Amino acid sequence: MEVFGIWIAAFLTLCIYSFLYRDNPFYRFAEHLFVGMTVGYGIARSIHQGFIPLAWTPLWAAIIGESPAGYFKLIPICIGLLFFARLSSRHSWLVSYPIAILIGFGSGAMIPNAFQAYIFEQTRGTIEPFGSIHAGTLSGWEIFEAVLMIVGVVCTLTYFFFSAEHRGPVKWISKVGIAFLMIGFGSAFGNTVMGRVALLIQRVDFLINDWIGSISALF
Amino acid sequence: MKRQVPLILCFLFGVVMILTEFSPHAASQSVYNEIVNWTLIVWPFATVLAVATLVQTHWARIQRRSEHWQYSYVVFAGIIVMAAIGVPFGMKHPAFEWLFNNVQVPMGATMFSLLAFFIASAAFRAFRARNTEATLLLVTALIVMMGNVPVGDLVWNEVMAWSPWSDKVSEARQWILDNPNLSARRGIILGISLGGISQSIRIILGIERSYLSGGDA
Amino acid sequence: MFEKLLNMNRQIVFILVVLAVIIPMLLNIRLPLAVSEPTQKLYDYIDELPSESTIMIAFDYGPSSFAEPEPMAEAVMKHCFDKGIKVVGLTLDPEAVTLADNVMQKIAEEKGAINGIDYVLLGYREGPIQVILGMGVEIASVFESDYTGTPLSDIPMMADITNYDQIDLLLDLAAGTSIDAWITFANTKYGLKIGAGVTGVIVSEMYPYLQTGQLVGLLSGFLGAAEYEKLIDTPGKGIAGINTVSFVHLLVVGLVVLGNIAFFIQQRKEQG
Repeated sequence: MEVFGIWIAAFLTLCIYSFLYRDNPFYRFAEHLFVGMTVGYGIARSIHQGFIPLAWTPLWAAIIGESPAGYFKLIPICIGLLFFARLSSRHSWLVSYPIAILIGFGSGAMIPNAFQAYIFEQTRGTIEPFGSIHAGTLSGWEIFEAVLMIVGVVCTLTYFFFSAEHRGPVKWISKVGIAFLMIGFGSAFGNTVMGRVALLIQRVDFLINDWIGSISALF
Repeated sequence: MKRQVPLILCFLFGVVMILTEFSPHAASQSVYNEIVNWTLIVWPFATVLAVATLVQTHWARIQRRSEHWQYSYVVFAGIIVMAAIGVPFGMKHPAFEWLFNNVQVPMGATMFSLLAFFIASAAFRAFRARNTEATLLLVTALIVMMGNVPVGDLVWNEVMAWSPWSDKVSEARQWILDNPNLSARRGIILGISLGGISQSIRIILGIERSYLSGGDA
Repeated sequence: MFEKLLNMNRQIVFILVVLAVIIPMLLNIRLPLAVSEPTQKLYDYIDELPSESTIMIAFDYGPSSFAEPEPMAEAVMKHCFDKGIKVVGLTLDPEAVTLADNVMQKIAEEKGAINGIDYVLLGYREGPIQVILGMGVEIASVFESDYTGTPLSDIPMMADITNYDQIDLLLDLAAGTSIDAWITFANTKYGLKIGAGVTGVIVSEMYPYLQTGQLVGLLSGFLGAAEYEKLIDTPGKGIAGINTVSFVHLLVVGLVVLGNIAFFIQQRKEQG
């Protein structure tokens, strides 16, 4: 079964790599199978890692009299069931109820924590090195880095500030911001290449060691 | 009912989450815990939306005999096989794990590994130092790429032996990531979070309503 | 000639990429590797934890990205089991739970770690914000049982673990935005220490968090995995992989330089 699995995986891997030549039925077959299996996996996952442990188990405990508190779960279960209204064109508007709850919850949780995690912490991180300059604990090079950081942050933010027209000094500051952004995107590109190549290496390693290895093991 | 109730629900849940954040009172915290638990239960049901949308799209493709409509049956086969094993027998069933490990994982990994080829091809064809900004991007990318791999230091030290920058390219890469890259990313984070927070306030106050209908309600 | 070079068939580039992967892989090349500061920081943090500490690992990656985080997971878990640190696994990624189960079982078998005593996989729950917030109050309110269905109350290593107060570090092995959620809701609200191991695609986004201390350390893609393997002196997929990546990077750098030389010569010809 293990060798059979390796051969299936190798066949599907080659089906997808065939796209490098051009679009073809083998690639389309694998592509559609991938989409279908991912959704099928999602159904099983939502039931076994969501509905059963969080909703059904406590509710069943209430039904058999083990824990009456489980009946409270009926409220969120009913809210969740409104998602099924999507299946009826007449009642599909009911889906907006659970969506509104989830969006309201997410927005409410986000506001105070995002202020702290992003605005306050990142501002602190930008300003803090200047405290060390004042204390005289930074070298000349570190002072340069601290100044570079604040210049970079202010210029990048200026570039994204569209409420004022980018003319005169604002134009030049935002141009410096673009330079910092280009360095940021350049480093992202450099790192992305590593990430994509890692996936390729993993697949080639599979084809050479596992698949071709399984062929040589037969003889 | 169609507009006002969701707006009220959104407002209520949003405001309660904000208020409970600042109140350590036991009653406030029990409301907070209950809301978190409720939304945990509601979430898994949202899978229905994804499945329904995908099934409707592919069913319509089959009915209209759109281009490559036959492959929509492959999508359905994939859904049925995984769900037929996974739903009744669980995710730890050997057949379910076998399908995941030998069919789903190889396809997912290979699909995204294609990008390695396209990135190399695009780098050769389109990565040009046409102006100052593009040159900055290109030079940074090259330094980071070289600094990311052990061979980078070996090659760099040979090529740059004549210059004052002959010391390791991995250190140059680290400096770029720690300094100008950090500044740019921080600017982006501040910009995005300010935008995200203001959008969240608009949603709670009912000014932003696109989630209700996919358009401006 | 340069025009021909610029219009070279892209399949030739594809073949060069394949060769740049296969040749070093077959030759099994090993190059010297330096350890970067972010990796060293994470290693030091874990290394300084006393035995019987608990680390939570979030396997937030799927089949489309597991090539980089999986070697990191293997290296960190080996380090933890060697030091007697307990590992609690979970995932916020919809497709990761089976991958997490595979890798935890594999390393546990290799190191003789016992499920329920040295490690446990909680599984997956939907809704990252509510999962993270819920566990801050009580882990059992989100995961009343582990991935195999055993109630948490029956798992010996979970007896003294109620919420983040008993977790010494959360290591997020991420391929997407999960790290933002962990920082926003676990670090900011509950003060949980967070380390990250991320794919190359999002490495550069992590540096602001590293500087503020919101991240105690960072593993950067394949490079981070290789560096961690070097630190624990156990070469694995990371070290093998980064040596192969070296040659693909050389190829891409070469292609970019060649493309630019050809472009400028071509442009000068057209102008002159």
